Amino acid sequence: MVPLVLYVLLASTMFVVGLYGLMTQRNGIKLMMCVEILLNSANINLVAFSAHLPNVDGQVFALFSIALAAAEAGVGFAILILLYRLYGTIELDNINALRW
Amino acid sequence: MISNPISLMIAVPLIAMVVAFMTKTRSQARIVALIGSLVPLAISLQMFMEFDKTSEIMQFVESYDWVPSLGVKYTVGVDGIGLPLVLLSTIVSILVVVYAWGENTRPNQFFALLLLNEVGVLGVFTALDFFLFYIFWEIVLIPMYFLIGIWGGPRKDYSAIKFFIYTHVASLVMLLSIFALYFTYRTPAGGRTFDMLTLIQATSDSTLFSPMLVNVIFLGLLFGFLVKMPAVPFHTWLPDAHVEAPTAGSVILAALLLKMGGYGLFRVIVPMMPNVSEHYVTLMAIIGVVSILYGAFLALSQKDIKKMVAYSSVSHMGYVLLGAGAFTWLSVQGAMFQQFSHGLITCVLFMSAGTIGHTAGTRIIPELGGLADRMPKFAVLMMMGFLASLGLPGMCGFIAEFTVLTGSYATLPVYTLIVIFGGIVVTAGYHLWAMQKVMFGPILKKYLDLHDPHSYELLSMSILVFLIVYFGVNPAPIMDIMGVAAEQLIEGPVMTLAQMGVV
Amino acid sequence: MYSDYAYLIVGLPILAFVLTIFLGWHLPKGGGFITVLATIGALILSVGIFKEIFPTDTIVHQSAHWFANFNVGILIDPLAIVMLLMVSFVCTMIHIFALGYMDGDPGLARYFAEAGLFTAAMLGLVFSDNLLQLFIFWELVGVCSYLLIGFWYRKPCAASAAKKAFLVTRVGDIMFLAGMILLYTNMAKLGLPEGTYLLQFQTIYENLVHLPSGQMTAIALLIFGGAVGKSGQFPLHVWLPDAMEGPTTVSAMIHAATMVTAGVYLVARMFPLFYAAPNALMVVAYIGGFTAFFAATMGLVMFDIKRVLAYSTISQLGYMMLSLGAGAAVGAAAVGVGIFHLVGHSFFKALLFLCAGSVIHAVDTNDMREMGGVLRSMKWTGLTMLAGALALVGFPLTTGFYSKDEILVAAFENGLYGLGWLPYAFGAVTVLLTAVYSFRLWFTTFDGEPRTDYGKHESPWVMVGPLVILAICALFMGYPTQDTFYDYVGNNFDHYGVDFDELAVVGGHHIEHEAAHEPFIIKILPIILCVGGILIAALFYSRWKKLDPGIVTSKNDPLRKIVLRRYYQHEIYTGWLAEKVVYGLALVSNVFDLKIVDGAVNKISKLTVGLGGNVRRVQTGVIQNYITAIVLGLTVLLVVVKLGMEVAI
Repeated sequence: MVPLVLYVLLASTMFVVGLYGLMTQRNGIKLMMCVEILLNSANINLVAFSAHLPNVDGQVFALFSIALAAAEAGVGFAILILLYRLYGTIELDNINALRW
Repeated sequence: MISNPISLMIAVPLIAMVVAFMTKTRSQARIVALIGSLVPLAISLQMFMEFDKTSEIMQFVESYDWVPSLGVKYTVGVDGIGLPLVLLSTIVSILVVVYAWGENTRPNQFFALLLLNEVGVLGVFTALDFFLFYIFWEIVLIPMYFLIGIWGGPRKDYSAIKFFIYTHVASLVMLLSIFALYFTYRTPAGGRTFDMLTLIQATSDSTLFSPMLVNVIFLGLLFGFLVKMPAVPFHTWLPDAHVEAPTAGSVILAALLLKMGGYGLFRVIVPMMPNVSEHYVTLMAIIGVVSILYGAFLALSQKDIKKMVAYSSVSHMGYVLLGAGAFTWLSVQGAMFQQFSHGLITCVLFMSAGTIGHTAGTRIIPELGGLADRMPKFAVLMMMGFLASLGLPGMCGFIAEFTVLTGSYATLPVYTLIVIFGGIVVTAGYHLWAMQKVMFGPILKKYLDLHDPHSYELLSMSILVFLIVYFGVNPAPIMDIMGVAAEQLIEGPVMTLAQMGVV
Repeated sequence: MYSDYAYLIVGLPILAFVLTIFLGWHLPKGGGFITVLATIGALILSVGIFKEIFPTDTIVHQSAHWFANFNVGILIDPLAIVMLLMVSFVCTMIHIFALGYMDGDPGLARYFAEAGLFTAAMLGLVFSDNLLQLFIFWELVGVCSYLLIGFWYRKPCAASAAKKAFLVTRVGDIMFLAGMILLYTNMAKLGLPEGTYLLQFQTIYENLVHLPSGQMTAIALLIFGGAVGKSGQFPLHVWLPDAMEGPTTVSAMIHAATMVTAGVYLVARMFPLFYAAPNALMVVAYIGGFTAFFAATMGLVMFDIKRVLAYSTISQLGYMMLSLGAGAAVGAAAVGVGIFHLVGHSFFKALLFLCAGSVIHAVDTNDMREMGGVLRSMKWTGLTMLAGALALVGFPLTTGFYSKDEILVAAFENGLYGLGWLPYAFGAVTVLLTAVYSFRLWFTTFDGEPRTDYGKHESPWVMVGPLVILAICALFMGYPTQDTFYDYVGNNFDHYGVDFDELAVVGGHHIEHEAAHEPFIIKILPIILCVGGILIAALFYSRWKKLDPGIVTSKNDPLRKIVLRRYYQHEIYTGWLAEKVVYGLALVSNVFDLKIVDGAVNKISKLTVGLGGNVRRVQTGVIQNYITAIVLGLTVLLVVVKLGMEVAI
């Protein structure tokens, strides 16, 4: 039996990694990946606590979350592809037409 | 005999507006607009005939629950304060449609906006529920914003936005005061109400409204109305808006939108005056006098004839404020009549300025000259308008100004004398100066092939001139119902609709 | 029976106005006959009413509610009826004359329409039964004069003169307005029964004794201010000479019948009020006397034939005011004398102007230096003008003689008390000046040799006819009517039960009832001065010329320069007051409005926009920055919450 704290540690590490990626990266795909990491860290937490309590709600939520993440990735990547067609790059710093 | 005349009067132009929007050609749009403004005119005339002219109670009242949980009702009705302005609105609206008969740029939208404007002002002059009142009050901004913004002159963007934001800020201040009234008062049943007359009557209850609170509410409302009137120093949106607006827009702006501020004075401010500090009455008188004099001097210095007319509006609306502030029977009814007469006169002035602008190609007074030579009919109508505006007896402007001044002297002698000696000659001066420069003298070479404007422009101007002379010779039909309303305002606490027994 | 149709006295000319303005273009002679017929109709009605009320010594009074506290009404008492007769008669003559004089002008219909309205306004002014209605017609008279002076609106000077006339009289009008408002407020304080029309003359007369004395002086002075503007008294006389820019018939109407007399009529109408305010009466006498003298000096040097007559009108109006001002000494009789002079003056001044018009019509210039010897070609015009001039200077047995004599006697009696001798002195000197300038005009125009080659023909009969009729009136009307006239008009206020003794007590002045015995010299002095003046004019200007004007003045004489520049009034009023002070103030307020008032509004909006502009820099559009901010914020928040909890525990 792996103690709960290790799951939480893993999730925290993944979260920090994702956050770090979001804060430092400029590339659209990398950002999407970081968002996925963030989501998955939350999922790990949900599943871990669900097993620990035990309460199946958490696992249901994790499933929802995964489905949502899939949808989000679908829309997100579609936008990125369009952006690439339009600008020839997905470096988000260069895409600032709506900025002041 | 119509069962719900006011609702019908508001609904017809609203429907006509939608129809006009959807029309394809100019001729369709203007026919729709003509019908859509003819019906309200007929209804308002019918109302005027049926109106009990000796009674001070609200008539033609309709009241339905709208949002019961908030105490919002759809309540409309007219009395001696509102009816003349309703009449003015329907008359001016149709004449504006006639005047703008030849509009070529996006005619369907143009006429639809004119109709929406009529809906708004009619609503303001008849609504008896603050919620409804505020909605109509704000509706009016929209068509005017677009009229200036789309059909306006070179600086239309600046002027349209300035007009919108300036008057909107004032409305918001007014809204705060309305909320203060709304949240302080509870009906006997324990609920809230937006009913105007009830709330105004409640302000005299000092256990509910502390003097401090009444004063603040009063100032907030006053500010909202003063900006709309507009009174110095809140007048600067007006010349900009007028100069840029198309002629029809200017006419509606000056003849109807400004009257909303004055209407607010009589409906809300004057009944509250006995409950507020004396200083605010003095403030009103001072602002009124300053508006009259300052507006007249500003008009004297203008080169653009339309701007001159705009400032003359500031000057003339000052009489309304002075008359309301003086708070005597004669002065209050004179001020009401000034609203009515200024509504008619200023139409002629703005139509004249507009016609000069689009026939001669410029409105700059020093560049014009001798137009009477080529435009004799127009010159006569314009001169009648100018003479009426400078307060010539025999026309309605004089009756109003004389009554205001005579009434005001009893309570505000010094201010009245300042107006008489400081304002009247200057007013005559700028009117005559402009007439002389524009119309008289030898005709300039570049204007040799001008001719009288279109017959529809002349038609609407001559109808207005006729009304100006008619009400100058026989003001009694309008003045009498104003007198009844003024007596009620001066003597008594406001009666609610329930006390009048009409709901 | 005629009095039932009194409203038609105004109604007919107004109808003529409406008809000619709409249909005149299509009618021969611009529909001028309509206006003439309407005026004759008004004359017939006036005569009819006069025949009804004169023998019975009654008045006609009709009144109807108008609006609020005001009424409209017709009041025909002796004062009004003589004015009605005079106005309708003189206007008829002038309109007939205009049929010939204005013939061929492209704006003929407009002329006759406006002339009809002018007549209507003056008639309405005269028969008003309350002050407000009088004021309305008063202003209508003003606007008609504006329209008619600017009749030839293509001429810039005509348009400018019209504007000046309107504005200057407007200065007087606002004083009248203020006086009326003051009077209304004071009457309202008396607590008269509900529904009393406070501005009705009858009500005013009946309640004068209850009004506070100081207020009455103020009201009287303000109302007199209105008369000063309308009747061209100093210092508001400047518009009257400029009003010559209109057609000569218009000048005749303005000067004789329809406009300037309104001011005198107003003071006469309000005479009980003035009587109760002796200080105001003194002002009236002073202004009147001074104006008479002041205008006469300018009349001496003008070369424009119409301008000489214009200054003579101002001067004669000064006499009328002087006569009313002398009412402090002679009571209501002053009204009879003043109005008699007014009526006589309107005959001979209309005559003089029409003669001048006739001359101008033939000679085609206004400048007397280009005329000379006109009598040879224009016998009728010259002789009738001589009759007018004789009446004007007050030659014995003409109409002007009786009234002027009476005025000077009244002024002399007034001068026995206090400081009143000065107006009398002005009046006496002016007799001499009047004689000199009148006959300077007549001699220069009709006598001597032609100085230029001008058109030589007599005017048509439609023009000469009125001249002859007016000349007969000017010469012979005075003697048979004067005593009846003085009594009839002087007792005007008895119809209202006005008690002048009581008013004298209110006004605080002592009235000497036993007629003061004026020395014989006072009676005879005007005759001496007038004949002397004619002789002086003959010496300088007639064909028996013995002296050259150059011996009295030279080109560089500073006094002559000042008079020729008309005392620099134009420079002061137009150049300085209107263009510098008022217009300057307007320009300053415009700058103030744009920079300060509107500047503040724009400043506020700029500040708001600027603030937003700075704050939005925070929104970099870079997601990483947002995330960093979120993380940092969250961290800080967590730390704060944690610390807070520990502190709480």
